[in-house]
Amino acid sequence: MSEAEAYSYDADMRKANRKQAVEGRSVIFKIKRCDGPGKPTRWESFKVPIETGANVISSLNWIAANPVTVEGTKTTPVVWDSSCLEEVCGACTMLINGRVRQSCSCLIDEYAPKEGDTISLEPMGKFPVIRDLWVDRQRLFSNLTRVKAWVPIDGTYNMGAGPKESHEQQQMRYALSECMSCGCCLEACPQFTKEEDESKWDSSFVGAHAISQARYFNEHETGKQLKGERMDALSGAGGINDCGNAQNCVKVCPKGIPLTESIGSIGRSATMHAIKQFFQGKK
Amino acid sequence: MSENADSTQNRHFLLRRLHSLSGIVPIGVFLIVHLVTNSTIAWGGLNSRVDQEGFGWIDRSIATFQHEVSFINNMPLLLLIEITLWSAIGFHSILGVYYAMSGKGNTGAYKYGGNLRYALQRTTGYFGIFFIFYHVATLRWGWTWLIPGDAVWSHEAASSTFAAALRGSPEEFTAVGMVVAVFYFFGVSSLIFHFANGLWSAAITWGITISRPAQKRWGFMCAGIGASLMILAWMSIIGFATLDYDRAVEVENAMHGEQIHLNSEDALDAVTLTGHDDTDG
Repeated sequence: MSEAEAYSYDADMRKANRKQAVEGRSVIFKIKRCDGPGKPTRWESFKVPIETGANVISSLNWIAANPVTVEGTKTTPVVWDSSCLEEVCGACTMLINGRVRQSCSCLIDEYAPKEGDTISLEPMGKFPVIRDLWVDRQRLFSNLTRVKAWVPIDGTYNMGAGPKESHEQQQMRYALSECMSCGCCLEACPQFTKEEDESKWDSSFVGAHAISQARYFNEHETGKQLKGERMDALSGAGGINDCGNAQNCVKVCPKGIPLTESIGSIGRSATMHAIKQFFQGKK
Repeated sequence: MSENADSTQNRHFLLRRLHSLSGIVPIGVFLIVHLVTNSTIAWGGLNSRVDQEGFGWIDRSIATFQHEVSFINNMPLLLLIEITLWSAIGFHSILGVYYAMSGKGNTGAYKYGGNLRYALQRTTGYFGIFFIFYHVATLRWGWTWLIPGDAVWSHEAASSTFAAALRGSPEEFTAVGMVVAVFYFFGVSSLIFHFANGLWSAAITWGITISRPAQKRWGFMCAGIGASLMILAWMSIIGFATLDYDRAVEVENAMHGEQIHLNSEDALDAVTLTGHDDTDG
C-alpha cells in the first residue's frame, strides 16, 4: 500500500480513525533521511510503541532515544525542527504521508489506528534540506521582504497614534494576521518550485503567504503608505500574475487563512495599480 | 529601483495580462461564433429564411450552414480578421506553453478539484494547440495531405466537403476517418474546457471575483457556458459525421443557383469566387 493510499484525506475519516485506534499498538515510521546538504537520501523505518495521545513529534522523540531501525541496525537519531508544539510557529512543518502539515498537531490515532500501520515522514520538498526532516525556509522570509510585509513606523520624530480602524476591517485583517509562515501553501503550490539559486529568488513566484501578507499590510491604515511599492513588486516577475489558480494553498493552510481571496484582492489591486500608473504614473 | 527593472516589470505585467485577455478577446469570442455557426448543421432546420421547395429539416440545416460560411467568406478584410486571430492564437499558445513549463503539477499528492483543473488547463492547452494547427492547416491552408482520402474542403460546398474530410471519404467512415473524428471530438472538447476554465481563473487574475462565494458563483456560470458550448460542439460533430453527402451536394448546388437567380451583384461575387480559389476558408 502506498503512502498516498494509506493516508486518509478526509477529516471525517481521520475522526473515524481516532475512534477505532487500538491501544498499546506499535506503528512503523518510514523516514526519509539525509545526512546534510547535497548528501544522498535514504529511507529508514522505525517501530514505535504508541502511547495515548501520541503525535509525530512525541514519536520522533522516542526514535531519538532509540535510534534502531526495524532491521535492528543502530543508526543516528533523526533530526527535525520544532519549537512551539501547539501549531503556531510553523517550524515542524513536514510531509506526512506525502502531504504537508505540522507534525506537532498530527495525532498518530488519526493516521495509523491499527497495529503495524505505517506513517511516512519527509522533509518539505521546496526548501533545501539541512538534515533529515529539517529544512531551511529562508526563501519564505526573503519573499516577505520582497513585498515589504511590514508597517513603516521608523522616523526621526514621533508620528503619534495610528488612524482608527473599523471593526469589520479588523475582523478581515485578523484572519490574515494568523499566518505563521510555516510554508504549507508554498509546498502544495504547483507554481512555487524549488529554486537552489538564491539570485533567482526575486524573480521566482513569491507564493500565497507573501501575497496575503501584502494584502494584510496594504489594508493597514499606516501600512498602506507602502502599497505602491508592494504593488510594484507584485506586478513584476514572480508576482501575483504567476499564480496558476490551482488553489491548493487555501486547502492546506493550517490556519484556514482565505489565501485565494487575498490572491483575488491583490489581483484587483494590481489591475488598479497598472491603470493608475498608465494614466498618471511617472514611469 | 532602476529604470531597467521597471521596464522589465511593466513588460512582465503587460504580457501576463495580454495572455489572459487574448484568451477571451479575440480567441474566446471567435470560439463561440465558430461553434454557433458550425452547429447550424444540427439546428439550422429552424431557419425558414433559407427554405426552398422540397426542403426538409436537414436541407434547411445544410443551407443555413452554407449561408453562414458564404457570409463569412464575403466579409470585408477577411484576411485581416484571420491574421488577427492567428496572431492571437500564436501569442496565447507560445506564452501559455512558456508559463505552463514554469509550474510543476502535483495532482498525485494533492487531489483537489482546483488542482486537477490547473493540470487539465495545461494539458488541454497543449492538446488544443495540436488540434488548432491540424484544423487550420488542413481546412484553411490546404495541407490536404493531412486529410484522409485527400478530401479538399471548399467554402462553396461547406457541409459536404467537411463531412468527407471528417469521415475520410464522402460516403462512409474509413478507419483513418474515425481517428480524425475522434481527434475532433477531443480537440474541441479540450478547447472548450480550456476556455471555460480560463474564464473562471481570469476573473481571479483581474480581481473581478475576490470572495470565495463569488468565485464559486462565477465557477457555476463558467461551467454553464462550457456545458452549452460542449453541446453545440458535439451537435456539430455528430451533424457532420452523419450527414447525407449526396443530399448536401444537391442543396449546396441549389443554394448557388438561387444566389445567381435572385441578385445580380451576388451572382457576380459567386462567379468570381468559383473562378479563383479553393483555399479561402
